[in-house]
Amino acid sequence: MSPLRQAMRSTVGKKVLMAITGLALTLFVIVHLAGNLQLFLKDGSKFNAYAHSLESLGGLLYVAEAGLLFFILAHAVNGILIKGSHWAARGDVRYSRYQTKGAPSRQNLSTQSMIVSGLTILGFLVVHISHFKFGPGVAEGYVTQIQGAEVRDLHRLVVETFRQPGWALGYMGVMVLLGLHLRHGFWSAFQSLGAMSPRLSPVISVIGVVLAVLLALGFLGIPAWILVDPMGVYR
Amino acid sequence: MNLTLVVWRQSGPNETGAFKTYQAKDVLPEMSFLEMLDFVNEDLIKAGDEPIQFDSDCREGICGSCGIVINGQAHGPLQGVATCQLYMRHFHDGDVISMEPWRAKAFPVVHDLVVNRSAFDRIIQSGGYTSAKTGKHAEANAILVPKEDQEAAMDNAACIGCGACVAACPNASASLFTAAKITHLAMLPQGQVERARRVKRMVERMDLEGFGNCSNIGECRAACPKEISIEAIAKMRSEYLRALGSTEAKED
Amino acid sequence: MSTIQLDSKIPSGPLETMWERHKGDIKIVNPANKRKYTIIVVGTGLAGSSAAASMAELGYNVKSFCIHESARRAHSIAAQGGINAAKAYAVDGDSVHRLFYDTIKGGDFRAREANVHRLAEVSTSIIDQCVAQGVPFAREYSGELANRSFGGTQVSRTFYARGQTGQQLLLGAYQALMRQVDQGRVKFHPRQEMLDLVLVNGKARGIITRNLETGALERHEADAVCLATGGYGRIFFLSTNAMNSNVTAAFRAHRRGALFANPCFTQIHPTCIPVSGTHQSKLTLMSESLRNDGRVWVPKRAEDRLKDPNQIAEADRDYYLERRYPSFGNLVPRDVASRAAKAVCDEGRGVGQSGLSVYLDFRDAIQRDGKHVIAEKYGNLFDMYHEITNENPYETPMRIYPAVHYTMGGLWVDYNLMSNVPGLHVLGEANFSDHGANRLGASALMQGLADGYFVIPYTIGNYLAGNTFEKVTTDHAAFAEAEAGVKAQIDKLLAVGAKGKRTVTDFYRELGKLMWDNVGMARNEKGLKATIEAIDKLHQEFWENVKIPQGRGLNKELEMAGRVADFLELGRLMAYDALDRKESCGGHFREEMQTEEGEAKRDDEKFAYVAAWEYQGAGKNPVLHKEALTFENIHLAQRSYK
Repeated sequence: MSPLRQAMRSTVGKKVLMAITGLALTLFVIVHLAGNLQLFLKDGSKFNAYAHSLESLGGLLYVAEAGLLFFILAHAVNGILIKGSHWAARGDVRYSRYQTKGAPSRQNLSTQSMIVSGLTILGFLVVHISHFKFGPGVAEGYVTQIQGAEVRDLHRLVVETFRQPGWALGYMGVMVLLGLHLRHGFWSAFQSLGAMSPRLSPVISVIGVVLAVLLALGFLGIPAWILVDPMGVYR
Repeated sequence: MNLTLVVWRQSGPNETGAFKTYQAKDVLPEMSFLEMLDFVNEDLIKAGDEPIQFDSDCREGICGSCGIVINGQAHGPLQGVATCQLYMRHFHDGDVISMEPWRAKAFPVVHDLVVNRSAFDRIIQSGGYTSAKTGKHAEANAILVPKEDQEAAMDNAACIGCGACVAACPNASASLFTAAKITHLAMLPQGQVERARRVKRMVERMDLEGFGNCSNIGECRAACPKEISIEAIAKMRSEYLRALGSTEAKED
Repeated sequence: MSTIQLDSKIPSGPLETMWERHKGDIKIVNPANKRKYTIIVVGTGLAGSSAAASMAELGYNVKSFCIHESARRAHSIAAQGGINAAKAYAVDGDSVHRLFYDTIKGGDFRAREANVHRLAEVSTSIIDQCVAQGVPFAREYSGELANRSFGGTQVSRTFYARGQTGQQLLLGAYQALMRQVDQGRVKFHPRQEMLDLVLVNGKARGIITRNLETGALERHEADAVCLATGGYGRIFFLSTNAMNSNVTAAFRAHRRGALFANPCFTQIHPTCIPVSGTHQSKLTLMSESLRNDGRVWVPKRAEDRLKDPNQIAEADRDYYLERRYPSFGNLVPRDVASRAAKAVCDEGRGVGQSGLSVYLDFRDAIQRDGKHVIAEKYGNLFDMYHEITNENPYETPMRIYPAVHYTMGGLWVDYNLMSNVPGLHVLGEANFSDHGANRLGASALMQGLADGYFVIPYTIGNYLAGNTFEKVTTDHAAFAEAEAGVKAQIDKLLAVGAKGKRTVTDFYRELGKLMWDNVGMARNEKGLKATIEAIDKLHQEFWENVKIPQGRGLNKELEMAGRVADFLELGRLMAYDALDRKESCGGHFREEMQTEEGEAKRDDEKFAYVAAWEYQGAGKNPVLHKEALTFENIHLAQRSYK
């Protein structure tokens, strides 16, 4: 067996893969949020232009999308495999009673729900992509003009979607889970990569919490903003 | 004080176990937890019942023999102690106390609260040593070891191999145990030569034994009687990544 | 009567070069032939692990046995303080000769010069060996090894790894052993208790073990057998020894003809946490290193003994060790410190509710060095004390009292560590050889590793190369006979145990109390004679009335019953030896033999010998064989630490 394949089969290698894919996805999520912040703007044209510019990348977009898909699948499949090994490792009889000893254990809702939050996000992605990427477009009448060209009015789709309380609340719930996932995931990635020291650990831990809260708030802010519509622009 | 004990009883490795409830009367607060069990066992023996079997030896927290999951926590509610160092003054009259063996596929139950931790021996066999044979070696002071490195090595060498890390880990992972030995030897000049081979073989063996993966939860650290830090686990991973590029490791 | 002739096989010539010459003179097995020999090593403590690993490295087939689930659980792991070695790094006057001299003197001139000198010589190699294994000994900021001083010596020669020296040394040996298991040179048998020694044509050729998980009896053959099964301090029920420490393997060998030497030489360690009640299963040692900074005292007046110690004025305190032994002060050897503590308690000045403890006070050290310095040195010990007693030693003086800790006596061995039974070698605490009547602190680890790493690998070759071995398999009649005997004993225990009324612990506790009261820190003729009678009665009752659960598989009560049965016979032997030795020396203090100041009075005229006892049957008086001790390199003097 090649050393790399052997490494990828080991528990340490699997965690390294988890960390690399996780950090890459975190980076994507940050960029994704940065672009989507334009949804807070009254005028939908900026957002539509941004969306259109992404679609116009052509071949590059396919490469990026394929890469992203690979990271998502690698992260998810690997995560599910790891979880399966945990179940097997405990053995046939499980504890009748189990409780954490508290700090310095990091065990909390975030660590305990990684598989739940992860799987939910995975399921969410299917809905999210089919709705916003492959959902109603120009053909269905979601059309707008950018510099004279007819392009998809994604902004309208987003607003219409999040004006429905069911969609908005569902999205907001998933974003809470995303924050919860990142709360443990970000720190954990550095620990998995072996990049940890007594001084670094608390710093990364704080960055992880801040990042998790900001990303969750940023993402759930969008549906919340549109649903509540405090400025009265989406009515 | 009087206590209700809910204890896992299993009469052999292939038998089905079950919880049984016992009343412990007149327990003294100055008894250790294991002395309380001795005391209960004396009554069981006199009544013609089978005493509760559990491992213990030094009873001062260094041999690593004892280990009971007490009320869902490995070695009980305190941190930094083994079961033998837990005293009954931490419990109250009327308490219900549950006792289970370490639960892990790699630690099969032998009898009641006694488990087989020989998987740990096999992890050490795979590389937890320097290959220095008995004989003449360099004068001990010929190789200087910075005090900080020696202290860091000692922090990890303090592991008593009790298995609480595995028991407490939600994933039944042996990463802290394995990493502590890897880190101990990686911190010292004497451990440098076999560094890459050691980490590769030990991780491989750990995986083969059927322990779970580490999710960086740190429950092991909270349960460890010697309070070994999970930085050791980070160290194990960086050692592993380092070993991937090493020619030394390829020889195996 | 027996025909045993004791031959210590001490080489002739000057002491300083004796071991080097002996290594050059003894027979060796050539490398290709080593794989034809099989050696059994029972026990995996410092001596057993190091011996098994070293002999396997040489190429022998080794079978290693232990009663624990892992070799790393052996009781050597609990040694706290350190290991002595004559490295003489400092300019404080240390040397091989001084370590030799200190050990002989500390042992009150009841050890063999030749063995002790060899021990002092190889001590330096042990440190090099352990460092090469990655043992994280304490270091100075220079990166060099740190030393501390220990009781009974005036130089700093003790190497240590925090308060866990035994653990680190054992893990080093254990790891070496595990490496040999991985390489297939050692076949490792955990959870196996040796219950008999098998002799074929007078030679030790195997053992019978009981698999403690399944209860099955097993036969194991070899060309030589090494016992490294530790000491018998657990005979006192309460001791600092681990719960599973026992004499059974050694005692069964004794029954098979191996002589038991100086059984009455037991060490009572002065700094243990006092007994608090009958529920206690064992006692906890506080490292002797505490005496480097702590001062031992009791109130001058008995009426102050229950007063808050911090309220007792300096003038009302009796720092009795500093008063009686001005030059060694709190660092007198263990036996002296223990006896002094007993003396002040006997005077009614002992502190604590029981009146059986003395103060070990760090007030002055904390004032002198600051709390953080003391915490750095002893923090873990202070925490341990606090956890057990619920008292804070930073604020209130510790209370300590002596407890049984180590046994200097053991199976008799010659210079090659072989008993009088050909092929049966005995290593570490299980033998009698190096500590005389009292062991100095930090010398047990040194002896265990010396025997295992640097003595037996040489001397076993001498035995193997010097003898011819017929092929013996476990089908041999001797194995069947031994196994039948073991089975009969277990059957009898279970049969009696089904109807008996008193638990094993009940008998054990009674035996322990008899031993502590009469064969403990002070012994006298009347008490010893009464003890022999009492033990005989107890022994008889044990075999009629012991209650044992009937499980045939894992059954810890049954294991303990077998061990207590042996302890009952050993107790008699210890009392008999103590009665016979009408002198006071080291840990053996006969009240009839003391100076006017209450110090031990040796009788070199009559008792400068090793008392090696031959087994004659349960309840029968053993036969004495004497090995005279001659001191050619050391002037025999009354020990003085004043």
